[in-house]
Amino acid sequence: MKHLLILGAATVLLAAPVHADPGKWTDEPVRIVVTFPPGGTSDLIARVLAQYFESEYGQKAVVDNRPGAGGTVAADYVAEQAPDGTTLILGNNAPFTIAPTQFDNLPYDPMGDFTHIAYLGASTPALFVQPASGITTLDDYIAQAKGDGITYGSSGVGSITHILGKAVDIELGIEQIHVPYQGSAPAIQDFRAGVLEAYYDMVALNGDLITEGATQPIALAAPERSSAFPDIPTFRELGHDIVIENWTGLSGPAGMDPEMVKTINETVGAIMQLEPVIERLAQFGVAHTPMSSEEFTTFVEGTISTWEPLIKAANVNG
Amino acid sequence: MKDLLLRLRRSEDTARPPHAYLGALGGVALLILSIVFILGGYELGVGSPRRLGTGAFPVITGFILAVLSLVVIASDLRDTSDAERPDWISFAAIGAALAIFALTVGRIGLVPGAFLTVITASVPDPSLPIVGKIILGALVSLACWALFIGLIGLPFAPFGGL
Amino acid sequence: MEIISGFGNGLLVALQPENLLYCFVGVFLGTFIGVLPGIGSMAAISMILPLTFYLEPTSALVMIAGVYYGAEYGGSIASILMNIPGTPSSSITCIDGYPMARDGRAGIALFASAIASFGGGIVGMIVMAVLAPGLAELALNFGPTEYFAVILLGLVAASAVSNGSPLKGITMVVAGLMLGTVGVDITTGAERFTMGIPEMRDGVHLVIVAMGLFGVGELIVSIRANASGAFQNEIDYKKFYPSRAEWKAMFGPIMRGSGIGSFFGALPGTGQTVASAVAYAVEKKVSPNRAGFGKGAIEGVAVPEAANNSATQTAFIPTLTLGVPGSASMALVIGALMMYGIVPGPRLLVDHADLFWGLVASFLIGNILLLILNIPLIGLWVRLLKIPYKYMYPTIIVLICVGVYSLNNNVFDVWLTLVFGWAGYLMRLFRFEPAPFLIGFVLGPMMEEQLRRAMLLSRGDPTVFLTRPISGTLIAITALLLVYALYSGMKARRARQRAHAVTETSDLQQGKS
Repeated sequence: MKHLLILGAATVLLAAPVHADPGKWTDEPVRIVVTFPPGGTSDLIARVLAQYFESEYGQKAVVDNRPGAGGTVAADYVAEQAPDGTTLILGNNAPFTIAPTQFDNLPYDPMGDFTHIAYLGASTPALFVQPASGITTLDDYIAQAKGDGITYGSSGVGSITHILGKAVDIELGIEQIHVPYQGSAPAIQDFRAGVLEAYYDMVALNGDLITEGATQPIALAAPERSSAFPDIPTFRELGHDIVIENWTGLSGPAGMDPEMVKTINETVGAIMQLEPVIERLAQFGVAHTPMSSEEFTTFVEGTISTWEPLIKAANVNG
Repeated sequence: MKDLLLRLRRSEDTARPPHAYLGALGGVALLILSIVFILGGYELGVGSPRRLGTGAFPVITGFILAVLSLVVIASDLRDTSDAERPDWISFAAIGAALAIFALTVGRIGLVPGAFLTVITASVPDPSLPIVGKIILGALVSLACWALFIGLIGLPFAPFGGL
Repeated sequence: MEIISGFGNGLLVALQPENLLYCFVGVFLGTFIGVLPGIGSMAAISMILPLTFYLEPTSALVMIAGVYYGAEYGGSIASILMNIPGTPSSSITCIDGYPMARDGRAGIALFASAIASFGGGIVGMIVMAVLAPGLAELALNFGPTEYFAVILLGLVAASAVSNGSPLKGITMVVAGLMLGTVGVDITTGAERFTMGIPEMRDGVHLVIVAMGLFGVGELIVSIRANASGAFQNEIDYKKFYPSRAEWKAMFGPIMRGSGIGSFFGALPGTGQTVASAVAYAVEKKVSPNRAGFGKGAIEGVAVPEAANNSATQTAFIPTLTLGVPGSASMALVIGALMMYGIVPGPRLLVDHADLFWGLVASFLIGNILLLILNIPLIGLWVRLLKIPYKYMYPTIIVLICVGVYSLNNNVFDVWLTLVFGWAGYLMRLFRFEPAPFLIGFVLGPMMEEQLRRAMLLSRGDPTVFLTRPISGTLIAITALLLVYALYSGMKARRARQRAHAVTETSDLQQGKS
C-alpha cells in the first residue's frame, strides 16, 4: 500500500507538465470493444460513453461486442490492434485481473500489452441471506455455516462473487457450499424459490428485493458504507478485511501516445461528471472515482497480485 | 466427366445391401462414442453424489447410450428391409465445398470463396453444364457481396485476406 | 378492469403512426434476415439494436418486437422450404413442414405456420395479460429439482417426436445429451472433450448442429433425389389458402399447442423447446390424423408453431419480473430496457405498467403486421421452390457457410458444420433422426446444471426429486409416458411379428406348391 502511494505521488509529479483538455483525439471513429454480448451492464456503460463522446466532443465512437472465454477473446483482439487510439477496450476484472491467474496459456500480458487509460468506476457485491432464516448479523451467519453448513449462489465459476465467497471462507474460517449459476439472476430466482440459502451479488441490483423484504443483506465488500444503502455494514467495519469490487476501466493497446492517453483520460473524467451519466451509472451501482492513467495502471497491477491467492483458492484453472 | 459420374451412379444403384448391416454400423458407431465418453468421464472425475464431478454426467449418459445402442444393434440386425442407397459422390462434394469455403474465405475473400464453393458443390449434378456452373458461381458470389457486405454489413472482405 | 384499461392505453401507444411504421420496418427486416440460414432473431436484433438507442423507448421496443417476430417467422420459412431450422422448436416444424413443401403444399404450410404463430401469440398474450402475477409465482416455485423434472419430461416427449422407432428416438436424445457436455463445464470450469481446441471451449453452437444435421445432411440426400426427378411434384404456387377441412384440422392443435406453450413459457430458458416437443408429442397421441404425422400433416406444422409462440409471450413474465432471459434474444430485449433505465425486477409490472402494456400491445400489432406482410409474400417464397434444385443447392451451401461463419466470425465453425453435416447424412443412412438429437443437445447442458445444483442443495440426497410435490408429479407423469410408450411399442411389434409370421407361412406354402 505504501509504495502504491509513493508511486501515485511520483506519477502525479511526472504527469504534471503534460497538459490536456477533454476533447476529440482522433478523426477516425473509435471502436470500444466490450467483453460481453449486447445488453449487459458493461455493454450499456460502453454505449453511454460512446454517446457522450460524440454529443459532447464530436468524437465518433461505436461499440463492438466480442464476447467469449471470460473476456480474453476481446482483450487478445485489442492487444493486437494499432495503438492509434481508434481501438479501446472496456476492461474489467475478468480479462485483466482474474484471467492472468486463471489461465496458464493466456495469449496476452495484462500489463505489457496494454495502455491502461482511465478508471471508470466500480460496483460492490454484498452477502445476502433468507429473511426467514433469522440470520441478521455476520456472527449469526458464521454460526450457521459452522453448524448445519450453508449453500451460497454465485454468478459462475471464477466470477467476482465466487471469489468473494472464497475470500469470506478464508477470512472467516468457514466453509460455505458453493453453488455456481450463470449470472446472478438465476441464482436470485432459486433464492426466492427458497432452495438457496444465501448469495453474493451487486448490492445496487438488489434494491427492490431489499425494500420488499425478500432478501436480507448481511455485509458489503466495499471499503466504506454505500450512500444508497447506509444500513448495510461493511465487512471491514465488522473486523474482516474483505474488499472485492467489480471495477471497469478503459484501456488500449500498448504504446499509445502519452498526450492522447491524457486527452482520453480527461474526456472520460469530464463525461463521468455529467449529471445524467452519474444517474445512469448509479442504476447499475457504479460510482466513479477520478484516477489518472498512471494511477489506473497501478490499480490494475495491484488487483492482479491481491486477488491471486483468492483465485487460486477458488480452484479455477482451465 | 459427365459420363464417369453417370457410370458411377449406375454402379451404385446395383449394390444394395439389406439395412441390417448399415443399421448395425450406426449402433456400433454410437457404442464406440459412448465408450469414449465413459472413459473420458472417469478420467475427469465423477465426484460424489453431493458434489457430482465434471465427468459424472458424461459417464451417466454414456452408460445409458451404450445400453441403448446395444438394443439398437440387436433390433437393426433383424431388419430385413432394403438399405438406403448411399450417395458418396454428393457426400464428398458437399464436404469439399464446405472445406473450400473454410479455406478460402479468410485468405482470398468472400467473392472468390463463394464462387469456388458453388463450383465444388455443383460437381455431383451432371445436368448442369460447366458454363452454367460458372455463371451460377458468379451470380451467387456477387449476390453475397451485395447482400452480406453491402446490405447487412457482416465483417467479410470481398477480395483478399481479412 | 385494470387489465382492459392498461391494454387499451398500450394499444393507443402502439397504434401511433410512427410506432406502426417502426413495427412494420422491424417485421420486414426481421423476416428477410431470419430467412437466411443461420442468421436468426438474435443476429437480427443485435443488428438494429444500436439504431433503436436513438428512438423513444416504446418505439424501440415495438421495433425490436417486430424484428423478433419477423425473424422467428423468417426462420420457419427456411425450415419449411429448405429443412434448415435455426432453433430447436423450428426443427420440430421441419418434421411436417418440409414434407408438406416436398408434396407441393409449401404455401399451405407457410400459411399454417403464420396463422398458428398468430393464434399462439394471441392466446399467450391473453394468458400473459390475465395471469401475469400468477405466472411470476409459478416460476418462483421452480427450483433446480423442478427444472430437472420438466426437462426430463421434455426429453421423453422429444423421443416420441421422431418418425421412426421410438427406440432410435430415445437413443438420439441420449446421444444429444452426451455430446452436449463438450466444452467448459460451467460448474467447475474444467474443459471436457475439447481436444485442446480453444474454439471448443464454449461448446458447439446450436446453429452449427442444426445447420449441419438438418441443412447439409438433407442437402446431400436431396441432390440425387432431385436429379432423378423424385421431387418434381407439381407446385401450385397460387394455392396457399388452406381448405375448410385443413382449417378445421388446424384449430384444435393451435389451441392445445397454445395452452401447453403458455404453461411452459413461464419457465425461462427451457420453456420454448420443451413446449414445442411436449405439444407435438401430445398432438401425435391425440390427433385423429396421427398416422399422417411426419409425412406432411398440417397439424404437425401448426402445433409446434403455436406452442413456441405462446411460450415466447409468457416467457416475458419471468424475463421482466425476475430478469432471467429465456434466450439470447430475450437478453437483448432486457439490455434495450436497461438502456432506458428500466431494470427488470419484481416491481417492473407496477412501476412501469405503461411500458409493460405498451409491450404487450406491440406484440399484438407486430403479429398482425406479420400476418398482413407475409401472407402476400407466401406466393413469392413458394416460387423459390420453382427454381431448379441444381441452382438452389449450391446457393444454399454458400448461405449456410456465411451464416455459420458469421456466428463468431470464425472459420473453425465452418469445419464443425462439415463434421455435423456428414454426421447428419450418416444418421439418415442409419435411419436415425436429427430432431430428437438437437433437442437433447440443447436441453442437456441445462439438465446437467440443474441436476448438479439440486444435488448440491439437497446435500447429496437424490430423493428430493420425488419428495418435492411439483417435481414428484412431473416425474410421475414422465414415468407414465415412458411406460405407455414401451407398452404401445411392444404391442405394435407383436402385431408386426404376427403379420410377418403369416406372410412367412404363406411364402412357405407357395414354395411347396
